Amino acid sequence: MTKTQKFTMTRRQMLGTTLAGAGMLAGRPAFAAAKTLNILSHKVHQTVLNGPATGDLTENWRKANDADLAWVTFDSNPLQDRLFREASLPKTDFGVGYIIDNRPTADIAKLFTPLDAYQAKAPIEDYSDIAPGLVQAMTVGGKLIGIPVRHATQGLFYNEALLEEKGIKAPATTLEELVDQAKQLTFTAKSGTPVVGLVLASDLAVFPVMFARAYGGDFITSDFKLLPDPEAMEKGLTVLKALFDAGALPRSYATTRNDDQVTWLQQGRAAYTVLPFARNAQLNNKDQSGFPGKIKAVEFPISAGLKGKTPMASVVESWGMVIPNNAGDKDLAWSFLREVASKRVTLGMAINGNGPVRVSTYADKAFAAANPVAAVEAAVLKNARGAFPPFPEAARAQTIFLEEVQLAVLGRKPVKAAVADIATRVRPLLPS
Amino acid sequence: MSAIHANPITERERAANRSQPQPGETPARLAGLRDRVRNALGFFPFLAPVHVLLLSIIVIPAFYVGWLSLNTSSFGQAPVYVGLANYVKVLTDPAFREALINTGIIVVVAVHLELALALGMALLFAGGLPGRRFLLVAVLAPYAISEVTAVAMWRFLFDPDIGPVTMALRALHLPVLEWSYVPSHGLIIIALLTIWLHLPFTFVILFAARLAIPGELYEAAKVDGATTLQSFRRVTLPLLGPAMLIALLFRYIFAFRLFSEVWLMTQGGPARSTEVVAVYLYQEAFRFNAFGTAAATAWIMVLISLLLAAGYVLILRRQGGAHAH
Repeated sequence: MTKTQKFTMTRRQMLGTTLAGAGMLAGRPAFAAAKTLNILSHKVHQTVLNGPATGDLTENWRKANDADLAWVTFDSNPLQDRLFREASLPKTDFGVGYIIDNRPTADIAKLFTPLDAYQAKAPIEDYSDIAPGLVQAMTVGGKLIGIPVRHATQGLFYNEALLEEKGIKAPATTLEELVDQAKQLTFTAKSGTPVVGLVLASDLAVFPVMFARAYGGDFITSDFKLLPDPEAMEKGLTVLKALFDAGALPRSYATTRNDDQVTWLQQGRAAYTVLPFARNAQLNNKDQSGFPGKIKAVEFPISAGLKGKTPMASVVESWGMVIPNNAGDKDLAWSFLREVASKRVTLGMAINGNGPVRVSTYADKAFAAANPVAAVEAAVLKNARGAFPPFPEAARAQTIFLEEVQLAVLGRKPVKAAVADIATRVRPLLPS
Repeated sequence: MSAIHANPITERERAANRSQPQPGETPARLAGLRDRVRNALGFFPFLAPVHVLLLSIIVIPAFYVGWLSLNTSSFGQAPVYVGLANYVKVLTDPAFREALINTGIIVVVAVHLELALALGMALLFAGGLPGRRFLLVAVLAPYAISEVTAVAMWRFLFDPDIGPVTMALRALHLPVLEWSYVPSHGLIIIALLTIWLHLPFTFVILFAARLAIPGELYEAAKVDGATTLQSFRRVTLPLLGPAMLIALLFRYIFAFRLFSEVWLMTQGGPARSTEVVAVYLYQEAFRFNAFGTAAATAWIMVLISLLLAAGYVLILRRQGGAHAH
C-alpha cells in the first residue's frame, strides 16, 4: 500500500498567487542603472580597467553617473571597421570608441566629435601631463578628435635563461650584436627544445621599420617622405634575410603572427622577440610562461655606426578614445573619457598592464616597483614614433610594403629590387 | 477542296478565336478569371514573407552592391559615380589576376580530387565494409567540425617547425610541406584542407545515389557476363552521373568562394602568393575600405559562379531531356 498525496489548487488560488507574484516582482528594488554607455573597444581596453591589484577602476564613475558600461570588443582591424561603420550610420548606440593613431585621416576624423569644446568646458585633469606626441596623433586638421588612452611602445624582449645557457652575459646593445647573438642562440636547448634566435611576425610593418630605423632609415615619415634613406631600408632587409637564411628566424616566418611571438617566447622556442613593453606581464605570467621572471626587455638596439650619435626611434602605436558624431548622450561619453584619462585611472590601468599615456605615471614609485620595464619603456617612449602616418591608402601601402619585405626576406626577390618596388608601388598611394 | 477554299481559316486564327470570349460564355469566363485572381490574392499573404525575406536579404543588397560597384566610396566619403572604372581597376590588378588563378587551381584540383575520392568511398561503402557504421561516422566527422577549429588543428599538425605531421615526415626522411615558405606547398595544403573538410558533402550525395541503383541491374549485368569494370562503366557511372553533376555544381560554387581555409591558414601569404578571390575581396572591403572595388569584385565573383553553374545546368538539362525520351 502506498500513500499518494494529491496537490490541488483552485482557480481562485491560482489567480491570487499569480497576482501576488506579479506585484512582488513589480515592487522589487530597481537594480539596473538609469543609463548605459556602450563602448566599442579591444578586449585589452576593458581588462586593464579591472585588475586584481586595482579592482574595478570604473566603479566611482558608474556610481556617480548612475550608469552601466556595456563593452563590445573586437580584434584591432575588425574593431576599426565596426567603429567607422557605426559612425557612418545616421545614429549609433555607441557613445565611445577606441581608435588606433594611424587611422584618423581627414575623412575619418569627420566621423567623430571634435573634443576641444568639451575640453574647454570640462577639462581633463592635468591635461598637459599627457604625452604631447600622443595628443598630436589624435589631432586632425587642428581639431582634437580623441583622448590618448594607451600606447604600445616596442621593446626587445629576451629569454635570460637561454642567453645564460649559451654563455651570453648581456643582451645585445647594437644591431650587429643582436644578429650575432640570434645566430648563436639558434640551437637545441638542454631541455631538447629547438630554439631560434629571433621570432618576428611578418604581417606588421613595425618590424622591418625598426630594422630600417636602426640604420637611420624609415618607411614613410610623418611628412610623407617615402623611404627617406633607401640604403638604410636595404641594410635592414639584408639583415632580416641573413637571419632567415641562417635559420635564426623561424622557417614559418611568413605566416608567424603577433600571438605566435608571445607563445614562442613563453615556451622557450625563441630567445629574442620585439613586442610592446606592455606584454611584459603576460610573458612572465607563471600560469602561461615556462620562464616566469626570466623574460626581460631592453631598448631595440641601433646599429653600431649610429650608436651614441642618433637615438633609436622605436615604433610606438597609440590608442585614443573618440565620441562618434552620431552618438546619443555625448556629455555622458565625455565624462567617461575624462574619468579614464584621469591620473588615478591612468595609473591603475598601467598597473594592470596598460602603456600609460601620462608622463607622471612613470614617476610613480608604486608603478615603477610593480613594473620592472617601466624605466626602460619611459626612456624608449621619448624618441619613439609611429610606424607610418595616417593617410587614406595607408593600409594598402602597408600591405604592399609587407609583400615586398616577405619576398626579400624569403629570397624570392633581391633586396635592392624589393626596395625599389616599394618606392614604385607605394608612391602613387601617398597623399599629393 | 472547295470546302477548304470556302472556309480558309488557318490554325492560328482558330487558336485566336478560341481565346476570344464567345457570346454567351463571357460572364462565366470572367467569373473564372475573377476567381483565379481572388485565389492568387488569397495566397499572396502566405507567400509574402518569403518574398520579403528574399527581397531584403538577397535582391536589394545585390542591387545595392551593384550600385556601390559603380561608385568610389570609403568611410567618411560621399560616393562618387565612376561608371565601370572599378571593374577595370580590379580586372587589371595583378593581385586580382593571381588570386583568380590560385582560385582556379584550387577549385579544379580540389573539387575533382574530392569527387574521385568520394566516388571511391561511396562504392567501397556500398560494396559492403566491415564496421560500416563506425567508418561512416568517421568519414562524416569533418563536416561536424567548425572550419575555424579545423584550420587551427591543421596549422598545429602541419606547423613547419614543430608540427607532429612535419616531424613524423622528417623522421621518415620524407619531404615535408613547407606551406609557409613555398607558395605551391601553400596551395597544396589549402587544397588538402578543403578536400578534408568538404569530402563528407560529396560522399553523402554519391553514396545515397549509389544506394538508389537497383541491385537487379548489377545481377543482369552479371548474367550478361559483364566484368566488375564493365558494370562500373555501363551501370554505375551512367546512373550516378546526375548526382555527380549536382555534387560538382555545388562544390564548384562553394569552392569558388573559398575564404576561411586560406585566411586562417596562410592569410594569403607568403607575399600574397596563396591569396584567393574571396580573400582579395575581404582585403579590399575590410582592410583597405575600398567599397567600390570590393563590390566590383563581388559582382565579378557572382558572374563567374553563374557561368560555372550555367555550364553544368545545361548538361543536366540535356541529361534530363535524354532521360525523358
